[in-house]
Amino acid sequence: MLPGRDGLSIIKTLREANIVTPVLVLSALGEVDDRVQGLTAGGDDYLVKPFAFSELLARLQALARRVHPEQQRTFLKVADLELDCLKRKVTRGGQKILLQPREFRLLEYLMRHEGQVVTRTMLLENVWDYHFDPQTNVIDVHISRLRGKIDKDFAKPLLHTVRGAGYSLYEA
Amino acid sequence: MSQLQRLLRTTAFRAALLYACVFSLLSALGLGFIYWSTASYVEGQVDARLRLETEVLLNLYQRQSLPALLESIHRRTQEDQQRIYFYALWGPDSRALAGQLSAWPSGLDAQRTYATLHLNDVIKVHDSHKNDLVRVLVTDLPEGYRLLVGRDLHEEQAMLAHTFSITLSVVGVIFLLAMGGSMVFGQASLRRIDTVNRTAGDIIAGDLSQRIPLSGRDNEFDELGRKLNEMLNRIEQLMAGMRQVTDNVAHDLRKPLNRLRNRLEVTLLEARHEDEYRGVLEQSIQDADELLKTFNALLSIAQAEAGMKRNDWGKVDLRELVEDLADLYGAVAEDKGIQFEWHAPEDTALRLYGNRHLLAQAIGNLLDNAVKYTPDGGHIEFSAQAEHSIIRVIVADSGPGIPAADRNRVLQRFVRLDSARSQPGNGLGLSLVSAVAKLHKARLELADNQPGLRVILCFDKAV
Repeated sequence: MLPGRDGLSIIKTLREANIVTPVLVLSALGEVDDRVQGLTAGGDDYLVKPFAFSELLARLQALARRVHPEQQRTFLKVADLELDCLKRKVTRGGQKILLQPREFRLLEYLMRHEGQVVTRTMLLENVWDYHFDPQTNVIDVHISRLRGKIDKDFAKPLLHTVRGAGYSLYEA
Repeated sequence: MSQLQRLLRTTAFRAALLYACVFSLLSALGLGFIYWSTASYVEGQVDARLRLETEVLLNLYQRQSLPALLESIHRRTQEDQQRIYFYALWGPDSRALAGQLSAWPSGLDAQRTYATLHLNDVIKVHDSHKNDLVRVLVTDLPEGYRLLVGRDLHEEQAMLAHTFSITLSVVGVIFLLAMGGSMVFGQASLRRIDTVNRTAGDIIAGDLSQRIPLSGRDNEFDELGRKLNEMLNRIEQLMAGMRQVTDNVAHDLRKPLNRLRNRLEVTLLEARHEDEYRGVLEQSIQDADELLKTFNALLSIAQAEAGMKRNDWGKVDLRELVEDLADLYGAVAEDKGIQFEWHAPEDTALRLYGNRHLLAQAIGNLLDNAVKYTPDGGHIEFSAQAEHSIIRVIVADSGPGIPAADRNRVLQRFVRLDSARSQPGNGLGLSLVSAVAKLHKARLELADNQPGLRVILCFDKAV
């Protein structure tokens, strides 16, 4: 709660004035409804208080990158790993890699956030569209499967684990 | 406030008092009417006697002329020792010819007139009777003579006065009885209310076990008391439940916090290598994350139990949900060497109205448990099926299962079976499932999968 005015109306005013500065909403209200309200008001991301700093940092980095309108990019490339969104095709070093649909979305999300730390919560929210804490580390299993497909047979690993925070895809 | 003041303020007393007043007024009207009709009956009787007396005298006059009339008046006056009747005859020249009257009473001149006069106006009396009333009948005779016949109303008045005093005392007695009745009535209701008040006071003072005593007469007060007692039972139950939850929260969070604190303390005891510090810090963060997870789970349960925020509800396709969750958890199961099978037919009957995120989390918790407790080489079966209006979501594993005696207990917060202590967890998973099930009016069944646990979430769309 901001003094005198609520944050959502400020975002609306900014957006009406054609100011596209990315906005990350930090709020104590964590319902799905509240998230939807925050995002429709013009917020770019929504994080519920209390949060871990690593989570905030990862999301801020993601937002800072998004300023360039790269949503339209349909061809992603990190080192020799290539992903074609239209043909749903992934190759590494020219070698075709077969991915399940969900693995494809996971990789696409990681590649669009190349070099940034992506937290488990971000992955669960953006790739699976769930907002909850799974008790077991389900995301880790999916990451390790993806890693087995894109990194295992190659000399340089691209998908890195960031201890205590999440994952990051980059060429070391 | 004195007891009397309280009594006077009770609704029962006031209602009874009102009835007493109305009833007294009505009986006063009824008895008044009786009094009035008695009085007019008596008057009619007196008038009839006067008329009769006059007729007799008139007959005498018409048949035997004036001297006979005078004779008769004289004789009657003589005979009437008690002076009940009065007679007078005036001549055309306004001269008194016979009778006791000293002077002609004023205001009497019309033919055949009845009138009620004071005795004193008719004859001169010097005793206590001078204010008694006299009823007179004046008749004009031919040739200017005038005849007056009167009767002392002393007896009639005494009778009417007696009737009046009886009427008055009866109305008084009725009013007093009604008043007394309303006091008793008000007092009785006040006593019953007082027992309720006393019980409420005890409960406010902190003794939640107090109950309103019932009279056993099965009246409206007993009915009220029973309902209030029922309410108190429910409140006591909820309070006990809440106290238990709070105790459990305190107890279960103290352990990990202590562990965290002790680790930090031990680390500070002596100088260590930087890598060691880093390791301890990372572990501490992990512990803190676990604590946060517990709190989040508690909040989710509270939210599901409160059942609020219906506006993030909508149509949920359970087939889609099952497929998503199977994708999410199937990989984990296979990683552990568990055979994972899922099945959900493409069927519009698998759609229901609910909160997708809560449902996903609840079913996710069931899958979490299944993966956690199923040994390597075991199998998990995950399916959704619709039959008539009933949708079943089933998670069945080949783990150790839950003994029948513990199946209700594990739904409570923080309850962990001894056999599960070796696994990470906070004992909140099934509590959330139970709360979400209740929120969706679904039945949660824990059954034996022989071997293993079979959890069935049973949604009835007809409900």
